[in-house]
Amino acid sequence: MTSDALIMRGVTRDYPVGTAFGRKQTLRALRGIDLTVGKGRTLGLVGESGCGKSTLAKILLGVEQASSGEVLVEGRPISGYGRLERAGLIQPVFQDPYSSLNPRMTVETLIAAPLAVRGIGDSALRRRRAREMAALVGLPDHLVSSYPSQLSGGQRQRVAIARALIGEPRILICDEPTSALDVSVQSQILNLLHRLKSELDLTMILISHNLAVVHHLADEVAVMYLGQIVESGPSAEVFARPRHPYTEALLKAVLPPRAGVRLPELGLEAEFPSPLRPPSGCAFHPRCRVADGLCAERAPERDGTNHSFRCHHPLGGGDQAAAMTTPETA
Amino acid sequence: MDGPILEVAGLRVDIPVDGSTLRPVRRVDLTVGRGETVAIVGESGCGKSLTALSIMGLLPRSARPSSDHVRLKGEDISKASPRRWRKLRGDRIAMIFQDPMTALDPCYRIGDQMVEILRQHRSISRSDAQARAVELLGKVGVPTPEERLSQFPHQLSGGLRQRVMIAMALLCEPELVIADEPTTALDVTIQAQILRLLRDIQRETGIGLVLITHDLGVVAGVADRIVVMYGGEVVETGTCDEVLGAPLHPYTEGLLRSIPVPGETRQGERLGFIPGVVPRQSGEQTSCGFLKRCPYAMAECAGGPVAIRDIAHGRGVRCLLPPDPGARDPGLWTRFETEEVAS
Ligand SMILES: Nc1ncnc2c1ncn2[C@@H]1O[C@H](COP(=O)(O)OP(=O)(O)O)[C@@H](O)[C@H]1O
Ligand SMILES: Nc1ncnc2c1ncn2[C@@H]1O[C@H](COP(=O)(O)OP(=O)(O)O)[C@@H](O)[C@H]1O
Ligand SMILES: [Mg+2]
Ligand SMILES: [Mg+2]
Repeated sequence: MTSDALIMRGVTRDYPVGTAFGRKQTLRALRGIDLTVGKGRTLGLVGESGCGKSTLAKILLGVEQASSGEVLVEGRPISGYGRLERAGLIQPVFQDPYSSLNPRMTVETLIAAPLAVRGIGDSALRRRRAREMAALVGLPDHLVSSYPSQLSGGQRQRVAIARALIGEPRILICDEPTSALDVSVQSQILNLLHRLKSELDLTMILISHNLAVVHHLADEVAVMYLGQIVESGPSAEVFARPRHPYTEALLKAVLPPRAGVRLPELGLEAEFPSPLRPPSGCAFHPRCRVADGLCAERAPERDGTNHSFRCHHPLGGGDQAAAMTTPETA
Repeated sequence: MDGPILEVAGLRVDIPVDGSTLRPVRRVDLTVGRGETVAIVGESGCGKSLTALSIMGLLPRSARPSSDHVRLKGEDISKASPRRWRKLRGDRIAMIFQDPMTALDPCYRIGDQMVEILRQHRSISRSDAQARAVELLGKVGVPTPEERLSQFPHQLSGGLRQRVMIAMALLCEPELVIADEPTTALDVTIQAQILRLLRDIQRETGIGLVLITHDLGVVAGVADRIVVMYGGEVVETGTCDEVLGAPLHPYTEGLLRSIPVPGETRQGERLGFIPGVVPRQSGEQTSCGFLKRCPYAMAECAGGPVAIRDIAHGRGVRCLLPPDPGARDPGLWTRFETEEVAS
């Protein structure tokens, strides 16, 4: 099955954490992740903060290890790759381009850094490649000798993208790539990512708390809740007919900037639970509008194939799911 | 009498830095009526927070504000003494911040902080003040409010802290609340709850609410009227429906063209964007502040600063174009060849 770029099977990740009373506890940040991303596809990963999105990304980038389960990259276990080999294959783009760029390096040096680390080419070749990459991501030539502090937020994110792409990786992991940007710049980066993914045939994981962003770029979407994927499938399908009540609530929470939009009633009264004390049964049941006794007792198995979900009482897929296609009007 | 609660005219803030003067707020006029929510919207750095802080008398020391007037129920508060401010703030005018830890003291129990605010402004017994604190915590949806009184801020989640800060702002039943990005740091699910909460309380009490946000979706959900800021100036005002439905200023139009809207924008379609960056706000203006980034710019736009043009009552735009968005080609926003502008 070499057509899949990324596969995760039953992946868990535990963090040992100390409590206020000095006792050791285990925080299970990922609780059995099954995930497949086909080559050249873009998977959008959504869910509230603390649900495990960045942990999942770090495992794919090899900066964290799974506590159990299997992670395959292009058909091979991730542990079988050397550090440089892995870096040549998978690259990250993070939310805050400022903190990830060395302030004392020029744009050109920053972009070329991955080649230098891997000892590819001589400095003249690396400079030429860096300039090509700058052009590819829409950085004007006169900026290549500037320092990060001289750039705008959008330009810094372009530098980060150019640097991620210079080693010709096949997989790009974008963790909240536009969350620190203003909307008029966010759209530029979304346009850029859209163009690059088809021009370079990239496989992409796009993590965002902004569902409109995910809707715009992702082919597939996976909704996470407390360390699990509770719903996943083709983006168009999931957005139009969510089966999990949590997905439905997330979709309703999107406020389009249009006259006459009303504040949604999500019916999500309780707070996001602590991963140290996950609720019994279905982890979402304390907040769920359709939960009953069964939900508090037994965790739902994954149901469905192409469009799958974990819910004892999945939504019918009828009109209650209209939130994203027809903004509610007053 | 039901005059406006807040009237701001000609507000300006100068900040001297390294021998030059920043002018982050240049020309802001603002009116908020009883029970009204006015949203100030614009991207980062356009002067929203400084506008809020100067209304609240909370500007950093280095800043030099000036204005024609800032009136709270008719009283000009722009020159209020520190003593007068201590009476006004927390009592008649209150602020909600993006980061609740700006307003909450990490070293004091929540109950003590709330009691102190009340006792500062009202002659009220400790136990009555506690009862009032519990009542308000309950009202803003904090579960088991009695138990919270003895907790410290760090023992609460971000969403709960935000609610506590809202309860604190409402303790003395202020006439005006200024909320600066109150939900920006929160998850969208919590955001919706907090916004509903603010709206419900406002409907119930008739307070005037100034909601500052960079999020046009939030604005659409809660605002009665919108004030769009760019580069320290108000560039467009109108009702929520007017501004979002038929934006007149090219900046407002550009913002709205940049935002993907599921169900409207097609997946992967080229989104609009505003080329260039917000210029550094120093020196006096010699042209329209949006000139260099504007796809509709004409020769006249470089002639001098542009005045607000009143289109109708409460509807204004700082632009020389005919106020007819139908006559423009909004596809323009997606067709720039480069994101740069000549400087
Ligand atoms: N190094 C760590 N040590 C302990 N807990 C961690 C660590 N990294 C993440 N966590 C916890 O794991 C959970 C998931 O975190 P994260 O993956 O960052 O979530 P997200 O990116 O979805 O906001 C959170 O409860 C977080 O506090
Ligand atoms: N204390 C200060 N000293 C110097 N410049 C400041 C200070 N506070 C704010 N500014 C500048 O003023 C401009 C407007 O800031 P602000 O009102 O915080 O914008 P917003 O809230 O709209 O993002 C920004 O360019 C900011 O850098
Ligand atoms: Mg994260
Ligand atoms: Mg601000």
